[in-house]
Amino acid sequence: MVPADTHHAGRTRSFSFGDYVVGAASNGRVFGCAFGDGTVRLFDSLTPDAEPVCIKAHAGAALCISADIDKAAFLTGGDDGMLVHTSMLGEAKSLAEHKHRWVDHVTAHAGSGYRVYSVGKDAYVIPKKSAGEPRKLNHKSSVGGLAINPKGRRLAVSHYDGVSLWWLGAKDSGPTLLEWKGSHLQLAWSPDGTHIMSAMQENAVHGWRLSDGEHMRMSGYGAKVRSLAFTRKGHFLATGGADTVVCWPFTGGGPMGKAPAQFGDTEGVAVTAVAANPKLDLMAAGFETGAVILGQPGQDRTVSVAGGGGGSVTALCWNPDGDALLTGTETGEIHITDFRA
Amino acid sequence: MTQDTLQKIPVTVLTGYLGAGKTTLLNRVLKENHGKKYAVIVNEFGEIGIDNDLVVGADEEIFEMNNGCICCTVRGDLIRIIGGLMKRSDNFDAILVETTGLADPAPVAQTFFTDEDVRRRTKLDGVVTVVDAKHVAQTLDDGGEAREQIAFADVILVNKTDLVEPAEIKSIESRIRALNPYAKIHLTDRCAIDLNHILDRGAFDLDRILEIDPEFLHDDHASDHGHDHEHNHEHRHDPNPVHSKDIRSVSFSTDRPINPQKFDAWVNDILMSQGQDILRTKGILNMAGDDRRFVFQAVHMMSEGAFTGPWPTSDNRGSRLVFIGRNLDEAALKQGFEACAA
Repeated sequence: MVPADTHHAGRTRSFSFGDYVVGAASNGRVFGCAFGDGTVRLFDSLTPDAEPVCIKAHAGAALCISADIDKAAFLTGGDDGMLVHTSMLGEAKSLAEHKHRWVDHVTAHAGSGYRVYSVGKDAYVIPKKSAGEPRKLNHKSSVGGLAINPKGRRLAVSHYDGVSLWWLGAKDSGPTLLEWKGSHLQLAWSPDGTHIMSAMQENAVHGWRLSDGEHMRMSGYGAKVRSLAFTRKGHFLATGGADTVVCWPFTGGGPMGKAPAQFGDTEGVAVTAVAANPKLDLMAAGFETGAVILGQPGQDRTVSVAGGGGGSVTALCWNPDGDALLTGTETGEIHITDFRA
Repeated sequence: MTQDTLQKIPVTVLTGYLGAGKTTLLNRVLKENHGKKYAVIVNEFGEIGIDNDLVVGADEEIFEMNNGCICCTVRGDLIRIIGGLMKRSDNFDAILVETTGLADPAPVAQTFFTDEDVRRRTKLDGVVTVVDAKHVAQTLDDGGEAREQIAFADVILVNKTDLVEPAEIKSIESRIRALNPYAKIHLTDRCAIDLNHILDRGAFDLDRILEIDPEFLHDDHASDHGHDHEHNHEHRHDPNPVHSKDIRSVSFSTDRPINPQKFDAWVNDILMSQGQDILRTKGILNMAGDDRRFVFQAVHMMSEGAFTGPWPTSDNRGSRLVFIGRNLDEAALKQGFEACAA
């Protein structure tokens, strides 16, 4: 534990666990974090002094985490082939098992009740009220990312050469394929559900406007983009992969032909994670040095948050009220910053 | 490519046709009491005789990278799996990648030079190819990826030597040498070999490329090494796969110092225009005005070079360069290389 640093915004409590922070999610007042040793740790964002609940969820490494449709519960996938449900009470139960395979990605939508995870080329959809086998969605190549649209009805699956869009409720329907050459990874829906954006294996972002299939190509990054997030009203898409937070404008006809707004110039240190505040027009950005800043697209002024050291920021997550931020790094540092003070 | 090899996990790639003995070798590595922990990426589960949670099944997925390099294909599944392995808390000492019998090794090798995450945490240690002494001659005659696998290798195990006559082994060795002059060849029975000969080779470390089989180069001066090949003066790649039969190596040496600018311009031009056909390039060069050895290597179009240290002896500073590929115009390459003299 490190005392709060008065030079930084908010009051921060820090932990050092030593295992790779695979990802983080928030569900109600609880932050869930998944680690490279297969543990899941749960932190109460409103009681920062409380000790985290630690659960051994996977035999090997956890690979992905999402808030579950249940309150204060999380879903994780691991290289032990398990999809695990972990509750705030510290109970872990297996929802699915794929022997000798990896559960690479997981997501869920509380409103519509769908849980989705992927194993290699297949995504599996588990509806809330269904006792039968999950619906299996096959793709030509391995799944690079999963994202359910804000309304909870459509699933975007990224893979090599594009993104497949599936209707979650239409059991026998096939996918709509949005094609673009290259390997597609992390996905982000615009808050109004009109655009789907993909961070690619190449140093680029590709996007589609769903109404007419119009392509958006965004390149010029010095590193892999890794992370992308729309500001809460969808005015900007903030992205990693550069030594400044590159924010593409989505107002007035979209980003085509426009220069991106930026904030946080760090001269050669790449942004590895971005997270939009759910209540304010504020973006958090984490860097490969472990540093975290808050800023707004096009505004010079940024605020430094605790952190720095501990290697790349690999997890960055706000609580739903937007007054607490969790930072996780590749060397197992966790910082929880409380901005209520 | 980066030269920073600190704390990077070495990766050994195992290639070879089905039945040559890859799995035997893999099991040998896993069972031997060497005190090391390996993560093994296999193309098919169930062949490995050891239950180990660090054995990972991979579906070969070839990705084209849009990075301005027309021949740049990588293994998307390896990027994903290595990314996942790097998150694990239990450390391992090395990674072994087994490819399918029909795989072209180039996308596997290129993965380790292309993806920034893979490159940051791992380094390609060597490509080991297992061939079956009994069938290799026929396999080479049939064309296909067997030639690529031998041409690409740093270490070649000629396995099942108990099944063939010594004279046959000689002929196999000379056919392998024509395809690949610098690989270390080992004759084995049931892949019995000291693992130091196949692991931790540093075959892609510029610092450890100390020599390029000078013996072969001497032979080369004396004979026309392309014993069963004709010169092919079409330089452009041909869609006809029969041309893969034309894989061979050409090597050059000169005692005159090399002009660094001329060499740089020439070799870049060669790799840009013919890099699809050139599988691997290695060179040790005496650059004019510098007392150190300059080491150069390339996998298709991806190249790197650096001064690595002093020459072993001050009186023997001959420059040597080897290309392995198809459709190589030996005369033009020789002329180009010699024109790089200072």
